[in-house]
Amino acid sequence: MTLSIIGKSVPRPDARDKVTGGKGYPVNVRLPGMLHAKMLRSPYPHARILRIDTRAAEQLPGVKAVLTPADCPQRKYTTVYFVPTDAASMVRDMLVMSDTVRYAGQPVAAVAATSIEIAEQALELIEVEYEELPFVFDPEEAMQPGAPQLHEHAEHNIAVNPVMEFGDLEAGFAAADHVFEGVYETQRVHTCYMEPRVCVVDADGNGNFVVHSSMQHLFGLREKLAYVLGIPESRVRVIKPPYIGGGFGGKLDIGYIEPIAALLSVRANRPVRIEQTRYEDFISTARHPIKVYLKTGITKDGVFTARYAKSILDTGAHATHGAEVINVHGAFGFLLTYRCEHRKWEGYSVYTNNMVGGGYRGYGSPQACFAVESQIDEICDELNLDPIEFRRKNAHQPGDPHPFVQGMHLDTYAFDECLTRGAERIGYAQRTPANTDAGHIKRGVGFACQPLWVSGCLGFPDIYEHSGAIIKLNVDGTADLSTAAMDLGSGQITTLCQIAAEALGLPMEAVRITETADTTTVPFDAPSHASRVTYSAGNAVLAAANVAKERMLKVAGIMLEADAGDLEARDGRITVKGSPDISIAIADVVRRAESPFIQVTEDGPGPTTVEEKGTIIGLSSTAPAGNPSPASVGFVEVTVDTETGEVRVERAVYAHDLGKVINPNGAEGQVEGGFQQAIGYALMENLQFDENSGACLTGDFLDYKMPTAVEMPRSIESIFIESNEPTGPYGAKSLSEPCITVPAPAIANAIFNATGVRIRDLPITPEKILVALGKLPSE
Amino acid sequence: MNTIEIIEKVSVEVTINGQRQRRDVEPRMLLVQFIRDELRLTGTHIGCDTTYCGACTVLLNGEPVKSCTVLAAQADQCEILTVEGLEQDGKLHPLQEAFAEHHGLQCGYCTPGMLMSSVALLADNPSPGRKEIRKGIAGNLCRCTGYHNIFKAVEAAAEEMREGADHGHQI
Repeated sequence: MTLSIIGKSVPRPDARDKVTGGKGYPVNVRLPGMLHAKMLRSPYPHARILRIDTRAAEQLPGVKAVLTPADCPQRKYTTVYFVPTDAASMVRDMLVMSDTVRYAGQPVAAVAATSIEIAEQALELIEVEYEELPFVFDPEEAMQPGAPQLHEHAEHNIAVNPVMEFGDLEAGFAAADHVFEGVYETQRVHTCYMEPRVCVVDADGNGNFVVHSSMQHLFGLREKLAYVLGIPESRVRVIKPPYIGGGFGGKLDIGYIEPIAALLSVRANRPVRIEQTRYEDFISTARHPIKVYLKTGITKDGVFTARYAKSILDTGAHATHGAEVINVHGAFGFLLTYRCEHRKWEGYSVYTNNMVGGGYRGYGSPQACFAVESQIDEICDELNLDPIEFRRKNAHQPGDPHPFVQGMHLDTYAFDECLTRGAERIGYAQRTPANTDAGHIKRGVGFACQPLWVSGCLGFPDIYEHSGAIIKLNVDGTADLSTAAMDLGSGQITTLCQIAAEALGLPMEAVRITETADTTTVPFDAPSHASRVTYSAGNAVLAAANVAKERMLKVAGIMLEADAGDLEARDGRITVKGSPDISIAIADVVRRAESPFIQVTEDGPGPTTVEEKGTIIGLSSTAPAGNPSPASVGFVEVTVDTETGEVRVERAVYAHDLGKVINPNGAEGQVEGGFQQAIGYALMENLQFDENSGACLTGDFLDYKMPTAVEMPRSIESIFIESNEPTGPYGAKSLSEPCITVPAPAIANAIFNATGVRIRDLPITPEKILVALGKLPSE
Repeated sequence: MNTIEIIEKVSVEVTINGQRQRRDVEPRMLLVQFIRDELRLTGTHIGCDTTYCGACTVLLNGEPVKSCTVLAAQADQCEILTVEGLEQDGKLHPLQEAFAEHHGLQCGYCTPGMLMSSVALLADNPSPGRKEIRKGIAGNLCRCTGYHNIFKAVEAAAEEMREGADHGHQI
């Protein structure tokens, strides 16, 4: 059957609202009697609080509640939404407020008042006496004997230390003709969602909490907040915001703000709102810096014989995402990328007195991809091998058993085609050898691969993956779709409505996402993360639509005196297959199902049947059948000004085998946004901190440089290699993350091609290039 | 100490989206707070507090300003246009239409500011080239789209508006 809505660039249903100033962002929530809260943050990176005096603050007119560590539950938790808090693989080392400070900026007190200004004034009246403790900012120093210790449970400050090994590493290196070693480093960057983290929590006095928040997971927030407060989950009702102003993984954990607002709301008996400043956002979440030591054995014709990596991740003051990012980094960033019999990886997630890292699109893979794909190009350059052929030779093959998910195969895997078509489009074969351009502006081409990624988290230990949906048809021939799946902006409102409309045979504009949903009204959904929503929530929407459709066709069958199995739905009508003249509008079918049992017409009372009666509705709650892996390759063309060190990405080509494209424009937008963030990662973005106080030095967009419209390449071309993934909704698998993973090493490889200079630590600033060219002294 | 300084309020009267509005506010109140909290026009967003992200861009007497860097008192007796004022007689502005049609937005949080900067750009230059569009919105950060669909939307709207002008329509 031909598809009428899937595969088309239908406009976003949320677009009209958003171009008129969309009201549905959590930042706009105001409740009657609502108070505003601010947090007092520690100026020291490591300290013990000896005394807090809040008396003066409490007496300030307008102050309604004050919170200190002594007022907070001391039950340790992890912030990460996508796992149950008591999951064995997670580290519970967080407190809402602690009398030990472990990074500069940790909240030590909070005030709720009738205005933000009064709350801020009250903070200045709080006296805190600290005993400063020795601190450590470098994770490798933190692992040394005698280093300042952050947590009692973590010897040498190692939060987790996963090791994974396949085959016999020593035998693999013994079989190698060449062994390459290198060290690759990445920096701390922020997701830079545009809407700040903000919440309003309303405690009702009977032990119930209603929560509005800009976050990526309703049910995760419910579970975490209930855990922190020590109350049953059903006491917490999290309201789904129609929109949030971006997330990219940066809102994938409970913040300080939600528990603090909840505790203040109880004390003040009024709703409490907390909105973070941009500075506070910058020290709330970040992609972790990871230092990767790589050692690789290959044969003379470029086949891996052994691969070893050691990764040191700076998790900051608490483990949170650092306990999970390290595993995804090791597995999907390193171990599973290419075929190799003998492999070993050791990961260290290390506590330091830095800010706490968080989730960020790619979730550990950008750091690994930069190391792996840079080194492969170094190997190819050294041994004069073709970088495309090298990767092709070591790649997984279509039909191979999935290297991670038991029982699955790489059925729709098209890595080879990604390489071929991407290389053709950018003209990779025509590139010149490294540093051959005359003049000071040098052009280079490079690429990098994320050979294997995920469509969700099925198969990962301790991580949720089921989704749900409710679809209800209306008498006017429209349908309401309710789901807990959050659209962070990346377009799931559109793709999920497309899937529902296609399945039900309704026009696109007849399906809408309900504006209201909360944890009491919709089925559980895992978070919007891990490139999972179109695939996983899409499958749930399709399942719910199919339930509704079955009933719709049954009623239509009675009305048309036809067998339900002989009917098809399309363009808002139900038709007998092969007899286009026998048809009925879907609206009429729904009206019949919703009508009184006996309808009085011009011909007199006409009874319907009991079978026809009842709302046409479909419900699903289901895990997907698999976790199919897409492959991706990104190519870039850069120019490097060897006088100034400035790099410009001129053009990008990105190839990705995503199964079926649900919305081509939406998919291209994902790729373009991914490249934008990755260009920032590669060339300019860097969260920096004072080396004595630990204070953030880049806490606003003046000092934290991210790409503007001016820095974007003149074109970003997407090549979508389509197939019919059997486990995906209409054949779809996933897209979102690899397009942010591959550009940084592709840019590093292109810079090498342009200049002959190899930079192994991000960001690749003009200074680093000039130092490498010998035009600036190193330090 | 322990008392709040009594701050004398100032009267601010503006014409915003064609409507006259007057409020007594603290002199330190920012224009963006005045628009969002006093007038409850929440389409103007705050993405930072340092004049950089551009989410709060509005037109002040026809000029684009970042309303987090203007005091409400400075806008007294001025004309303000916010995203809510772009729609006329139930018809979206061509830029609004184009942003919707060309996927010139994702999360939508930067969109109001991006639209206002684009309105100002096209008022100055009805036929901007790609480079001029890039410069025209360089003060507005978007983290979702990679800007390319925004370029396409501005180009499409510019064309639409030129054609409208050719046919004698006032936009």
